[in-house]
Amino acid sequence: MKAFLIDLDKCVGCHDCQIGCKDEHVGNDWSPYAKPQPEVGQFWLKVNQYERGARPHVKVTYMPVMCNHCENAPCMKAAKDGAVYRREDGLVLIDPVKAKGQKAIVEACPYHAVYWNDELNIPQKCTGCTHLLDGGHPISVPRCVDNCHVDVITFGEEADLDLDGTEVLHPEWGTKPRVFYRGLPKKFIAATVYDPETKEVVVDATVTATGERGTFTATTDDWGDFWLRGLPDADWMLTIEAGGKTKSLEVSTMEKDLGLGDVALV
Amino acid sequence: MKEEKSGTAVGACGELETTTLQSIACGGTGGDLTAVDAKDGKIVRIRPINYLDTYTEEELEPSMWKIKVGDEVFTPGYKSAPNYFALAYKNRVYSKNRVRYPLKRVDWEPGGDPAKINAANRGKSKFERISWDEALDIMESEVKRIVEKYGPYSVLTIGEDGHRESKNLHAGGGMHSTFMSKLGGYTREVRTPDSVEGWYWGAKHFWGSGCNKGLGMPAPPQTGYNPWHVLRDISEHTELIAFAAGDWELTQNYASQMWSRLLKFWEKVGKEFVIVDPFCNYTAVCHDTMKWIPILPNTDAALDFAVMYVWITEDLYDKEYVETHSVGFDKVKAYVLGEDEEGIAKTPAWAAERCGVPEWTIKAYARNRAKKVTASVHFSSGAIKGPYSHEPGRTHAYLLGMQGFGKPGVQQAFMNASLIGKETIARSTSSPFSSINQCRMFYPSEQKIPRTLVAEALKNGHAEWWGSPAIVYVETSEQFQMNSYPTTPETYAAALGTVSPELARSQGKSLEDLQAAIDEKLKNMPEFNKIHMLWSEKPCNMNCWDGGFNYQDSIRTDEVEFFVTNHQWLENDSLFADLVLPVTTCVEDNDAMGGSMVVSVRHDSLTPPACDRVGESKSDFEIACELGERFGVRDQIDMGMTQDEWIRYGFEQSRLGEEITWEELNEKLFYIPKQDPDQDQVLPGMRGFYEDPENWPLDTPSGKLEFWSEALAENFPDDMERQPMAKWIIGGPKEDGWSHDETLWGERCHDYPLLLVANPARFRVHVQGDDIKWFREIENVKVKGKDGYSYEPIWINPADAAARGIEAGDIVKIYNDRGTILTAAYLTERVIPGAVMVHKGSRVDPIAPHLDRGGAANLISPNNQVSKHCKGFAVSGYLVEAAKVEDAEMDRWKQDYPDAFARDYDPAIGINYNSWVVE
Repeated sequence: MKAFLIDLDKCVGCHDCQIGCKDEHVGNDWSPYAKPQPEVGQFWLKVNQYERGARPHVKVTYMPVMCNHCENAPCMKAAKDGAVYRREDGLVLIDPVKAKGQKAIVEACPYHAVYWNDELNIPQKCTGCTHLLDGGHPISVPRCVDNCHVDVITFGEEADLDLDGTEVLHPEWGTKPRVFYRGLPKKFIAATVYDPETKEVVVDATVTATGERGTFTATTDDWGDFWLRGLPDADWMLTIEAGGKTKSLEVSTMEKDLGLGDVALV
Repeated sequence: MKEEKSGTAVGACGELETTTLQSIACGGTGGDLTAVDAKDGKIVRIRPINYLDTYTEEELEPSMWKIKVGDEVFTPGYKSAPNYFALAYKNRVYSKNRVRYPLKRVDWEPGGDPAKINAANRGKSKFERISWDEALDIMESEVKRIVEKYGPYSVLTIGEDGHRESKNLHAGGGMHSTFMSKLGGYTREVRTPDSVEGWYWGAKHFWGSGCNKGLGMPAPPQTGYNPWHVLRDISEHTELIAFAAGDWELTQNYASQMWSRLLKFWEKVGKEFVIVDPFCNYTAVCHDTMKWIPILPNTDAALDFAVMYVWITEDLYDKEYVETHSVGFDKVKAYVLGEDEEGIAKTPAWAAERCGVPEWTIKAYARNRAKKVTASVHFSSGAIKGPYSHEPGRTHAYLLGMQGFGKPGVQQAFMNASLIGKETIARSTSSPFSSINQCRMFYPSEQKIPRTLVAEALKNGHAEWWGSPAIVYVETSEQFQMNSYPTTPETYAAALGTVSPELARSQGKSLEDLQAAIDEKLKNMPEFNKIHMLWSEKPCNMNCWDGGFNYQDSIRTDEVEFFVTNHQWLENDSLFADLVLPVTTCVEDNDAMGGSMVVSVRHDSLTPPACDRVGESKSDFEIACELGERFGVRDQIDMGMTQDEWIRYGFEQSRLGEEITWEELNEKLFYIPKQDPDQDQVLPGMRGFYEDPENWPLDTPSGKLEFWSEALAENFPDDMERQPMAKWIIGGPKEDGWSHDETLWGERCHDYPLLLVANPARFRVHVQGDDIKWFREIENVKVKGKDGYSYEPIWINPADAAARGIEAGDIVKIYNDRGTILTAAYLTERVIPGAVMVHKGSRVDPIAPHLDRGGAANLISPNNQVSKHCKGFAVSGYLVEAAKVEDAEMDRWKQDYPDAFARDYDPAIGINYNSWVVE
């Protein structure tokens, strides 16, 4: 069974995957795999951006999302006449002829990965570039994979991929996605710690976040910065200690990542 | 795994698709190779190639450079990493904005009659399609008329840097000059230094002329001004990489995306990074290892002086090096410590008030830079493009100078210093392996105008400046030479030079012959006239360069009788033209375009047409040839050779034949020259100067780093803006002789309290690519206003937005005393409060004079240049105010300028061909 592995830790936000998908499918008719994608507005693969933290501790997570080619695909159940089908290799495709008029296929996908084409009156989505996989073209891998220059997206037999420690999107929905992610964003707390008397950053301060979901520690670096990464959503008692001074803050990552800015150690 | 599975690079693929190789980039030096698959003359896809599809690993091995750090090895890999644009170029080729046919402005007529040229309607009235015959008739009659009436120097050829597509034979950017040179002359529009202003006007007086003998970025004279092995030296020895005015993840959109891979390699081998920028840039946000220090725009000199203060007071700099490798440090030291007549110590507290960086972070920055081997990386943007940019240009350079510049790992990386490896047949760190470009690019002309002064020259009829000032091939001392437009007997004589043994030697003449030659030229000095015709092969000066609204005003005058542009897309300056000639994109030409700068591997390639031509477009070379036909000079342009003969000729003139035969190249279609086995004998970057300053002198007057420039002191004793050494300069009122009042410490900031940062955009290169619809739908590339228009975003901090009642998505006007541009709000933590960021290069969409809907930031940038004697542009870090556009105001504009709002609009692509061409 084919699967995708998307490693967010490697992503630099170039959008080459999104553009490659457009380049392959906009204006090109790959029937019977798929009809052309409209010029704009559909994203069979879309890079979502999440700005996180606060100045000066800001990062952006870039996250490519696409059809999950689910093992329990809700779109297949919503489709009539077998308009959505699974190939032997596991990839889930919409038959553009049979699917005509079937808006329910769009609505069935909880990941919003299926788009409606008003002009053609059909639902459309990622095909896994099956037209390329099946041969007769100069490349034989999905375009998002071929375009990526930093190996964020890999594609192959599920058994051949290193899926250790990966996650899928919304496993609780029971759809059993075949798109696996490494590095899905967890929360961070970051700050620059300084001494207001000497007006110096505090290097090597011990920072501890304690909460119901565990204890996390970090040390401030040469810039006085600490980054507590990989935190679950929780309320925390944050303690900063150095040179006999201690500062405690009640903070929460329930809603968002925290960039606390410059924190005076007093 | 991917490399094995990606497909054939060239030849017939499947039954239907044919594939060509193309070197697509938004610069003239080529990009990483792409394969362009086409069917029935139309592009199907554009994708990276795998070199192993054409060559074996054994064949490629000698051509692949390597960087080794410990056990880690970094190589270019076998798969190309084309830039963003190349991968979306189908959008660019088939853009709804392509100029498909020759176009004439509807209310302009040839002949120069003010009543019939309707100059005031430039940028307002629309265009109609005409035939090529009509277009060439107009060109022929207007050139003849204007040359007969005013002389050939009345034609200003604009844009020696061209459309910035990667073309070789077919490149624009001087084909008009080549053509006019056959008719007796032309006025050259000199491309002033861009993206390197601070170095060019400042650091050249510190470390000499630098790369390409004049760019201002450091390179040793002894290597022919080439900075070899800089990235390797940084990889091997640097501990901390300081990005000052640079955004690598963004700048690699120029030619290759290999630089993401290098950044990842550097992360892997444990480099540390710091990025000082008002904007948390695209490099800072995607790498966890990057430390962002937000700074108020154009205050970098204050930060740098405080760094020097910490180094001096804490004994953290290389005193011995300063002693042996520099002159004038004592004056800088006195200034920094407050031991001069000014008496102000440049402490971290002093700097913190000015640059917005907390005192403790300034100290940490200073100590980290001193205690770790630090390299500086510069790639365009930031303070280096602002008012008085020579100050941060020099202070950035001073920091390197105080830490033993040239020492292992203490280098400066920049565009021309990004070559890894060195090929046996390399000519420089940036030159192509074969060149058949026929443009008179960077050629001197006896009459010239710097690009920054064209508006002034047109408005006032004259202009004065110092230096040419061309971006490359000009020594530092040239900046002391005064020039004028129109050329006067004095400036003409000065340009010929003073008879001296040096000049005689450089021209290979005896002293007597030189004197005779100069006398002869003076006797036959041509008649120089004012310009009355503009001809552009780079029609984007109004938003690539400075004072855009001022430029628009200047070409709306009767003095400009005829304005013609050659261009692929109907945009920017072309909207103000009288005639627009359609140009091919690089993938439509029969050419041989290699890749020679900021690519992962440098190559020479055969790049035949990938697809049918769009509309009736022709290349600039072909246009020049056809005009040459009309004037009987065609054979002086094409030399009687066919395009195929030119390509063969290029190969034969090159050194490629030492490694590959013409037949083999035709079979393989690309070639990656072999790495020089003796390349280690070339010292990296500035190492020679570091190790042996006596034998590796700089080309400064003293041969050393000049913290204090005696040459500046002698030539410009009264210049308070660029003094002999860098200082904290904030400018002041015009009546007091200042060029700028663009800081938060003057008078104008009371009306315009925000500093506008115009960093390059991630998904444009300068102004290129604003019409790529697949980019425009990426989050935060454009923001859709409530009127359905896709506005250029103003990146604004939530605090500054709240203070102005601005909410996300609101239409926002940005204004100052030079005009108003419209944008829409994107609220973000990525901008320091007090600054707003508008990526430069959105296309203009004129509503009325000094009012533009397209969000082209440079329209409201300063009309004055860097400073009095430095006529480079100042296009970032200047004062504006931002306000929400209320419905009443928008309604009033719609009422006052109904035509502007009635133009066809497609939010997917923005304004386009249909907006400006009548059926």
